[in-house]
Amino acid sequence: MIIPVRCFTCGKVISEHWGDYVSRSNTKEGDEDPSDVLDSLGINRYCCRRMFVSHIDLIDVVSPYQ
Amino acid sequence: MAVVPHGWRDNMDKINVEIIDHSDRTVDFVVRGLTPAMANGIRRAMLIDVPTLSIDTLRMVENTSVLFDEMIGHRLSLVPLTTPPGEFEPTDVVTLTLDVQGPATVYSGDIISSEKLVQPADKRIPIVDLKENQRLAFEADAIIGTGLTHAKFQGGVAIGYSYLQSVTVNGNLKKGDSKTPLIVHGAVEDSGKIIPTSDFGHNLSNKYPNKKIEINDVPNTFVFHVETDGSMSSNELIASSVQSLCDRASDLREGVSI
Repeated sequence: MIIPVRCFTCGKVISEHWGDYVSRSNTKEGDEDPSDVLDSLGINRYCCRRMFVSHIDLIDVVSPYQ
Repeated sequence: MAVVPHGWRDNMDKINVEIIDHSDRTVDFVVRGLTPAMANGIRRAMLIDVPTLSIDTLRMVENTSVLFDEMIGHRLSLVPLTTPPGEFEPTDVVTLTLDVQGPATVYSGDIISSEKLVQPADKRIPIVDLKENQRLAFEADAIIGTGLTHAKFQGGVAIGYSYLQSVTVNGNLKKGDSKTPLIVHGAVEDSGKIIPTSDFGHNLSNKYPNKKIEINDVPNTFVFHVETDGSMSSNELIASSVQSLCDRASDLREGVSI
């Protein structure tokens, strides 16, 4: 639905980086390697990294159906 | 003055802290002269015993977003709020408000606090996406709590320690010897000197290529990694956790005294 506020496992606040992660790694041209983006955002543990890699943002899909 | 727990007193002058890496929210350090029980006591105190503020009650004025009230409440409770240690009593309540009209993304930075000291530690946490004609408005109460009751009150994040490892070089590698990388974390000790493992990519084979290496735990010496969620600085978290251990020890002493 929307990126969880914290990492499920360790509790680090990760959601503030979601916008940066998407805009830098999801573009059609000139995308950066998601792994490098996470490194530069300071997301070092693999518990936090999977929060980004495995997340699908569905809130825009759901929002018309209020 | 804090009462020093029994058994710590003899050790106090031997305890020695060396900081490896330090920033506002994280710190890595080596402590000498701790028993494993003391090290674990400090770790546990940092996780469950240091009080922080977190949103606990929500009075929803209007929520026409696509998320249920409960989901928004849950997300809000996980937003770290700055809690300067010693400023708040366990019964204190801080009121926070928010009113955002869509189309907009509601961020934690939109929360307006009634108390200057208490602010969202991170301003860019998305709470919910609002579209045209959607609105989110609420009043919330943040209360003081500890990680013992709920993880949302936990100031420390992924706190851990391990024994300091000392490295001894035992001649050169011979043909046929295993060349498996020797991965280490935090810091290692080489002839009494502490070396951060980030200096050599956490791989001892980089630092001592083609050498036979022996790794041993250093007794009573621990490498700590401490990280906070932003509700307080790492220094404040460690100081409050040690203080809470001391307070518990003196409570126990009073409780069992005749």
